[in-house]
Amino acid sequence: MKTVFAVTVLLGVLVVVFGSPVTKERPARGYFYGSTEKILPMNFAHDDHVPVNCVECHHNYIDNTGGGLCMSCHVTDAAVWPQLENQFHDLCRGCHAEKAALGEDGGPPRACMACHLGDDLP
Amino acid sequence: MKALYATFGAVFLLTFLSAPTMGAGWFWDAGNGLGFAAYAGLLYLTITSSRRLDVRAHQVLGYGVLFVAVAHAFWFMLGDAAVVEFMKLGAPDYMWHGIVSMLLLGILITVALVPDRFRFHRDYPAFRYWHRVVAVATIGTATYHIAVSNFYLGAWYQSLLLVLLALAVTFGREYWAKLGQLGVAKATAYVAISVVCAAIFAVVRNLPT
Repeated sequence: MKTVFAVTVLLGVLVVVFGSPVTKERPARGYFYGSTEKILPMNFAHDDHVPVNCVECHHNYIDNTGGGLCMSCHVTDAAVWPQLENQFHDLCRGCHAEKAALGEDGGPPRACMACHLGDDLP
Repeated sequence: MKALYATFGAVFLLTFLSAPTMGAGWFWDAGNGLGFAAYAGLLYLTITSSRRLDVRAHQVLGYGVLFVAVAHAFWFMLGDAAVVEFMKLGAPDYMWHGIVSMLLLGILITVALVPDRFRFHRDYPAFRYWHRVVAVATIGTATYHIAVSNFYLGAWYQSLLLVLLALAVTFGREYWAKLGQLGVAKATAYVAISVVCAAIFAVVRNLPT
């Protein structure tokens, strides 16, 4: 049993280090959107979100915290970027979950890979 | 088997208390269903160890729980390439708690076996004490992993009930002992129930509404 468990843990470590041998596509961390640290790529189907009020996401339109794209602050501002993961997960997942709970057409929260392939990938 | 059904029922019903049909796709929900099944198995192992214990049955069921927990982890690690990014330095603390819980469960089982047990524990009471301490830590980290990841326990009272359930199972030994002698379910039965519950969990959350 010890050996089986040790081999299982080793396999787990190998999958974490080298990635899944099963999935065809893997997200690769990189310096995306001007980030100063390596982050995961993200995609966002802007056209699918047209019915959502802009300021639901673009808070800077009303709170005067900047005028650029989301990433121009969220991956570059030293005071903000450490919160990138939490903020975007909460925003995206929270909105999808809220809509699903209300029975509104928003699509469910989804698997990680659905958002973490770059826009230039299939 | 009644205690096993009751434990599975409590854990899975708790996940359905709010937004019961909200899912994240078949793959995601089935994998998390396995995770909840592993958690139910962990609680069941604790409940049934409160009385005179069939050590061999407890041990074999422990293998079953570890198997389902490992299946939960590898399901995501192999099936969604982005998940491993959540298992590296900088990952959210609830993921680290899940990893630690899994490792503790493995250690809990392997170190309990002779002859390794003799290497770590000088006598049986010492083994019982430390086995229980590690079991409490395993349940605690698994509870944190579920409650704080917040994927299915969207309402505050669900997280509260999960914590209360874990506390009741962990520290209610005197009460569980009064329930009398209950046989420990077979590992095959536990794994089968786990697969069925994970499937139901995914079906309920993914059928068109």
